[in-house]
Amino acid sequence: MKEERVPVAFRRPLPLAVACNAFVILWLLVAAFPFLWTVWGSFKVEGDFFSRRSFWDAVFGIKTIVQTGHPFTLDGYRGAWVVNALWRPVINTAIVTTCVTVISLTFGTLGGYALARSGHRYALWLLIAALVFRAMPHITLVSGYLLPFFELNLWGILPTAIIVLVAINQPFTLWMLHSFFLGIPKDLDESAMIDGCSRLRAFQLVVIPVMWPGVVTTGLFSFLLAYNDFAVTSMLLSQDNQTMVPRIASFLGSIEQTGKVMYAVAAVVSATVPLFILVMFFQRQIVSGLTAGAVKG
Amino acid sequence: MADIRLRNVSKRWKHAVAVDRLNLDIADQEFMVLLGPSGCGKTTTMRMIAGLEDVTDGEIWFGNRMVNRLEPKDRDISMVFQSYGLYPTMSVYENIRFPLRVRGVARELHHQQVMRAAEMVELVDFLDRRPAALSGGQRQRVALGRAIVRQPHVFLMDEPLSNLDAKLRVSTRAQIKHLQYTLKTTTIYVTHDQIEAMTLADRVVVMNKGVVQQVGTPTDIYDTPANTFVASFIGSPAMNLVHGEIAGGMFSAERIRIAGLPTAIAGPVTLGFRAEDVTLVDGAAELETEIYALELLGDSCMIAARAGGELVSVKAPKDYRALIGAAVRVAIAPRFCHLFDRATGARIAAGS
Repeated sequence: MKEERVPVAFRRPLPLAVACNAFVILWLLVAAFPFLWTVWGSFKVEGDFFSRRSFWDAVFGIKTIVQTGHPFTLDGYRGAWVVNALWRPVINTAIVTTCVTVISLTFGTLGGYALARSGHRYALWLLIAALVFRAMPHITLVSGYLLPFFELNLWGILPTAIIVLVAINQPFTLWMLHSFFLGIPKDLDESAMIDGCSRLRAFQLVVIPVMWPGVVTTGLFSFLLAYNDFAVTSMLLSQDNQTMVPRIASFLGSIEQTGKVMYAVAAVVSATVPLFILVMFFQRQIVSGLTAGAVKG
Repeated sequence: MADIRLRNVSKRWKHAVAVDRLNLDIADQEFMVLLGPSGCGKTTTMRMIAGLEDVTDGEIWFGNRMVNRLEPKDRDISMVFQSYGLYPTMSVYENIRFPLRVRGVARELHHQQVMRAAEMVELVDFLDRRPAALSGGQRQRVALGRAIVRQPHVFLMDEPLSNLDAKLRVSTRAQIKHLQYTLKTTTIYVTHDQIEAMTLADRVVVMNKGVVQQVGTPTDIYDTPANTFVASFIGSPAMNLVHGEIAGGMFSAERIRIAGLPTAIAGPVTLGFRAEDVTLVDGAAELETEIYALELLGDSCMIAARAGGELVSVKAPKDYRALIGAAVRVAIAPRFCHLFDRATGARIAAGS
């Protein structure tokens, strides 16, 4: 048995081991259940998934069989993607998230590096000021900007939302990358500069490759902020330019029309797919970025 | 024309002076060691030569070029850092090749030059490894290899051996000495270890508190230290220093009387002598005291004894044995004595 390989000091009494494993399994179920339930339900009709009679309806799909002749249906997805052209908010979301991530990372790496290598005391105050802005609720920025944006005729278009999201996100990226840069010994930049690099070249050729896990992790968080944002995008974007999350919310808001709620459910499931792909693709960098031990000379 | 001149170079921060009006001439192909305790300004001096710190005052000249305003990359130098500063994402080969790559050396020359450097530092078998997969000594050699892959104006080495264990330090020290002999590049080497300084240097600069104490060959600074700081820093054990009075060529302090010193000097002085320059005798002697401690060193015995309120070291033959507290008589020849001004610590005259 493998169990016997565990040193005495780390061996646990059986009841404790059982309790620990049971807790982990329970936690997994509690955490994953809402999502799994939604995925399952997205292939049913509204009468089943939102049945008032019994939740077993959603499990067996009784009304789904009656309405479509099959226990699983793609009606929700068809409604969302084909009838309601979900691809348009998807494209908008792609534009917004990509731009926000790229812009935040560009400013974040350059600014974080500068602040980490700066010997001046105001560097710390800049970071603290950034933290204050980060602590404010997002909606304060939006409410302040709303009127000027109307007057300048900037309301409703994607670049406006991108700029506001970058502004909200920047303090966080700055902090996170700053602390990653602090973990990189100064000798690394200095030897690159002695070896013939300018500061910018040293940054590009030597520091960034070492920083890569940190950049990926910070990029992921920036991406998630833009991707999941509701407050900014719902207030600042016109109907045509809406991104996915406000669109899903508007599906959910229109319950007077039967079946539309299922569009929302299908759209929600669709919206999570890219997140899974992203996390799996960058899994290694994210883990090493979060544990931060990756940056050692 | 690879000589280096420092003219009145100072480095001041808001509240501290790291280097104070330093003047130094380093000849072409010379191996110059900056030696001093930590915080003496030796590393700051090197970083100013490298261009990693700006000078507050003064001028640094490489040949006939003033380099004060040049960036490190334009000074044509290479440097070995104490922590090596290797690029963790690159293989050993790429680490060594890096200076060639960023300086735009013709691509077809790269392989040959990298291999030449790798052979010199005996890393040919490790070229594919990442620095993380190397031992401390191997990493150190990668840093050396990266420094010698080009022919720079000057090599700078900032305590390159201090992260190695004692045995490796000795062999790498020999390797550095040999490399410098082969490549004949001007080298500036910073260390706090006086043995490294003595073994490697053509000339040594002893620094303390940002001020140069003495510049000279290892023999110079060993045989004629310019002041008590140099005397107490160089040699193992360091020179014995005893405070006392001198009058009419006779030095006297508690338990110690030495006649035959220069008669021109009078008043309070500090007398210096080295443990290996004295002999144990049976009859009357200059120093008559008891053994405070006895250390067996293998090739010799080191006696610690009280004299003039200080503990002095006396070297005895390796078969010497005595108990602590036993009486000991030590003959100190006047020609081996050094006299220093008690107040300033400056050398007065050699006792010849």
